[in-house]
Amino acid sequence: MKSPMTSIAFDPPARETAAASFAMWVFIGSEAMLFGAILLVFMFARLSYGDAFAGAAKHLSLPLGTANTVVLITSSFAMALAHMYTAARRWRAAGRALAATALLGVVFLAIKATEYAREFGEGLAPVLGAPFIYKGPDPVHAEFFFGLYFAMTSLHALHLICGVIVIGGILALWPRTIEASRFRRVQAIGLYWHFVDIVWVFLFPVLYLINR
Amino acid sequence: MSEFRKLTLAYVGLLALLALTVGSSFLALGAFNSALNLTIAAAKAAVIAILFMHLASAGVLPCLAVAAAGLWLMILFGLTLIGQ
Repeated sequence: MKSPMTSIAFDPPARETAAASFAMWVFIGSEAMLFGAILLVFMFARLSYGDAFAGAAKHLSLPLGTANTVVLITSSFAMALAHMYTAARRWRAAGRALAATALLGVVFLAIKATEYAREFGEGLAPVLGAPFIYKGPDPVHAEFFFGLYFAMTSLHALHLICGVIVIGGILALWPRTIEASRFRRVQAIGLYWHFVDIVWVFLFPVLYLINR
Repeated sequence: MSEFRKLTLAYVGLLALLALTVGSSFLALGAFNSALNLTIAAAKAAVIAILFMHLASAGVLPCLAVAAAGLWLMILFGLTLIGQ
């Protein structure tokens, strides 16, 4: 097997782990800029069209949104366990925790798809050319709310899909991966997964709660 | 405290904060509802960052990356929302 050390800069290997961790944190910082900008647009619009946004938000399903938050928090817990088991070299338990994380990610996406189907069915999805039928007051700004809702949640879901695919790849390569690389990979995908969870932690109250 | 116990406590704490934020949204607190929900969201993010992402023990460089992101977000939000 090849050594994970590829250059003198990564001698000792602890430097490589530190570099990988720092790179992930910088990447997370850039992702925070992306989601922060979209969240800012939403908050600015909410300050401008508060009543229309409050009326539109009542059409979102609070039970499904809450269930999805529980699922995502649980997946983050499973990912934290995967990291703990990897550090303890308990590879079988780490693999199971990673698989549980990905499975919970799929459950989140399934619930989100159910929500989207319901919103498309009710004519509340002004995306992909679907008709927007809104009987409440100020339909123009309600449509803006739902446009932002779909932009924010679909971008978040896209990040989750990427996370599930990467976990699947890590698990597929797991038996052929050397121990040091296993730890670095779990650490990197763990940081990413927890960040995606943090994004939802803010999206959930902003979309589902504070407009009620 | 063992690592498993610490992570389990963090998980239970996150679920408790979720129950608190959903429950508080049914109370008519006016503008305080939004402030409370965002404060609870920030608390949940801090629990995830410190206990699940091990930010406190990650060293100087990760903290620098987080501080830089926080600074730019403050500028972004501050300059946009000033005067609103």
